[in-house]
Amino acid sequence: MSFAAELRNVTKNFDGITALDGVNLKIQAGEILALLGPNGSGKTTLLKILAFIEKPSKGEVHFLGDKVTEKNFEKKRMESTMVFQKTILFSTTVYNNVAYGLKMRKMSKNRIDEEVSKILRLVKLDGFEKRNAKKLSGGERQRVALARALTLNTKLLLLDEPTANLDPKTASIVEEVIATANRELKTTIVMATHNMFQAKNLPHRIALIKDGKIGEVGAPTEIFRNLSKTLASFAALENTFNGTAKVTENGITSVDIGNGLQIETTAKQRGTVSVFVSPEDIILSKNRFDSSAKNIYKGKIIEISDLGSLVRLKVDVGKPFAVQITKRSFNEMALNLNTEVFLTFKASSVQII
Amino acid sequence: MLMWTKVIIIAAAVTVLIIAASLAYFRYFTKTRLLVSTTTSLYETGLLNATERAFEAKYSIDLGFLPVGTGQAIQQAQGGNVDALLVHSPSNETQFLQEGDGVCRKIIAYNFFTIVGPRSDPAGINGMDAMGAFKKIVDYGRNHTGRMWVSRGDSSGTHTKEKSLWAKAGYSYTQISMESWYASAGSGMSATLNMANEFGSYTLSDIGTYLKLSKDGTISLVAFITETKELLNVYSVIAVNQTRHPNVNFTNAITFIKFLISDECQQLIDNYGKSEYGQSLFRSAVQLLMPNSTSQIVQWIKDYAFINGTECPSEYRDNRYPELYN
Amino acid sequence: MEILDGLIKALQLIFSGDPRILEITLRSLFVSGSATVIAALWGIPIATILGLKNFRGRFLVKTIFNSLIGIPTVALGFFLFLIFSREKGPLGFLGLLYTPTAIIIGEAILVAPIIVSLAASAIEAVDPEIANLAKTLGASEAQASFAVLREALDGIFLAGIASFNRAIGELGVAVFVGGFIAGVTELLTTGIKLEIDSNNIDVAIALAIILLTLVFGINLALNLIQRRKK
Repeated sequence: MSFAAELRNVTKNFDGITALDGVNLKIQAGEILALLGPNGSGKTTLLKILAFIEKPSKGEVHFLGDKVTEKNFEKKRMESTMVFQKTILFSTTVYNNVAYGLKMRKMSKNRIDEEVSKILRLVKLDGFEKRNAKKLSGGERQRVALARALTLNTKLLLLDEPTANLDPKTASIVEEVIATANRELKTTIVMATHNMFQAKNLPHRIALIKDGKIGEVGAPTEIFRNLSKTLASFAALENTFNGTAKVTENGITSVDIGNGLQIETTAKQRGTVSVFVSPEDIILSKNRFDSSAKNIYKGKIIEISDLGSLVRLKVDVGKPFAVQITKRSFNEMALNLNTEVFLTFKASSVQII
Repeated sequence: MLMWTKVIIIAAAVTVLIIAASLAYFRYFTKTRLLVSTTTSLYETGLLNATERAFEAKYSIDLGFLPVGTGQAIQQAQGGNVDALLVHSPSNETQFLQEGDGVCRKIIAYNFFTIVGPRSDPAGINGMDAMGAFKKIVDYGRNHTGRMWVSRGDSSGTHTKEKSLWAKAGYSYTQISMESWYASAGSGMSATLNMANEFGSYTLSDIGTYLKLSKDGTISLVAFITETKELLNVYSVIAVNQTRHPNVNFTNAITFIKFLISDECQQLIDNYGKSEYGQSLFRSAVQLLMPNSTSQIVQWIKDYAFINGTECPSEYRDNRYPELYN
Repeated sequence: MEILDGLIKALQLIFSGDPRILEITLRSLFVSGSATVIAALWGIPIATILGLKNFRGRFLVKTIFNSLIGIPTVALGFFLFLIFSREKGPLGFLGLLYTPTAIIIGEAILVAPIIVSLAASAIEAVDPEIANLAKTLGASEAQASFAVLREALDGIFLAGIASFNRAIGELGVAVFVGGFIAGVTELLTTGIKLEIDSNNIDVAIALAIILLTLVFGINLALNLIQRRKK
């Protein structure tokens, strides 16, 4: 297998901060590689270097067999494109946004028209050509940015947290598009994420990154199997907790994750584990209610993020849990910071990873 | 940086284009330009506009007047920024010639100043001569409250005349101008007349501007005293000295002077305003000053506006143009 | 009574298309328009550098331009007069004193700080990642800068309008380097002064009306465009 790109001993400094420290990474052609790490670990910087919009302070970058130098820097840029974490759009129509890169490549207008409508269909934004890009919803905007990058059909596609802040429906569209692009166009994709669930299913390989250094690199199953210790240091990942699992009298597995929290799960495991609960599986209520769910915790809202039609909340029940509810529910329940709420989720929703 | 080079080139090119267009617009490249600095009173009557039209019909020279007032006009000439001077202040003109900045002076027209005032004539100057009138105005002003006199207060020819009249009447100008009844407009003739009209005061004006404003109904002042020797107002043209200021348009200045003294222009001057105001605003002077003339006015002009017995002493004449003076 | 009279006569002059008034108006538009264009040609590139690149002394340069915005026109006019003076001035030999060209140059210098300051602010306000975005889509440095400029277009347009307003309404530069030679350098502003001095009140009022209409009209159009964008 040939390498699409390679970073050899790459270090990047900004204003006295070392964002990347001696990074060695080989990216295989045609693979999806996930960069998994907490915020501030250097994921974005690494992606920018692969997108050739940043230059390493030290070290070399090789791309498509050539060493990247001052001379071919701009040319190599044409074969690599990046979608940023925060969606940036030009103040113009969806068409003009998506067509921008194609115009840079001097494609004829007719072909551009074709490509644009093709790609918009792929991201399920058919007919959006004339709409003002900035006036779309969050999910639509992210899809425009994705379409804009995909239509260039570059050899390398870099995605920075592609589904963070997206509602589940859009997130799944995006994940499907990523998979399709890789499968059919053979695009090599490097995506940064801190969503462990996504990291498990989408990529071929995972590279762990922390404090500007690459840790283990391997297939998802490998990584997650021997991961407890390393995972412990990724505590900032959402709804992922380390703890000790015990099987109780009733045959239920209970995981002690600290601060007096015992999470019940249907998975069978013992000893040191990491548990994960998807935000979508958690029910938020203002009052305790009886149900078949075994995990009920009381806590306070410590963070609120507006995602448009959805609201993502962080609730501290001893440990912080991320929960997702509709805007309507949010308003109807009159929720605010420090509001006391209850979190409820089934034992079967708790995954051991 | 290739892009920046392109940007600079485009910016420079378009700038040059626009500048060239603007230059072409006022015929910088095609026509020659003649700039004459002059007094506001000559300009405000509109005589210079008429003169310009006649001149440009005959010659393909772009004639422009800079109406800035006598004092400023002389300064501009001294700086070589204009090609000729057209003013009405013999004392200043003399100094101008003596300092070597001008040559070929020709007297081209005359009229009279007039002392104007409110219809009611509170100071009772009607029927007096100029000196008597001044004394009356001072007396009245000193014994009553309110502004009795408005002066130009700028360095214009009219103001110079006013100052010489005060001196002749035996007053110290510096003292008189500080007294409470004496107001200074610091503006052109129209503004000064308007101010006098407002205050109900007296002022000294050239007949041209007064007639124009009077006819337009702007002011209701009455011209009490005029056409006396002391109130004579003489207009002269002087070319800026080429030896001292090599960049001036000397030949065309001479052409302009010749035009001014030509019969055609002198007639234009004589007729100007006749139909509109019932009397000419200016009178031609060239014919008058011919050697065999006898009228009384000639003597007045000679006394007031001649320098060493002639309108232009020989040391200030240009020997290449003797035809200017016979 | 006289003002009303003058007002009526002024409106008659304007609507009858009096040639003198037309000539003065067109000349004003041409002179101030050219000045704005020239100032923009040089000012926008400078603003781009100021807005995009972080160099040493950037703050100082920005401050200098900001303070130059309010330069008194008489001071600038007089200074330029000295420069263009036929004999004593270093540029006197060009013979540009008392020409519309000199006014164009003078007004261009006058409004350049406005364009630079406002345009630089507009460019700074653009999301800094736009340049990166453009590059990752295949743009060169130059094309990326253009992408940023296009995002700042509203602000740059505003800068141009503000400059034109200042140029067409200023008196100091026009008086000192243009004089107010009828038929050559008489503009709306200097014309008002000249006509009042010559007691042509109706012409003066007509010019004033046109000048005010122009300035208000431009501002109105501007505000409407801004509102539509929101």
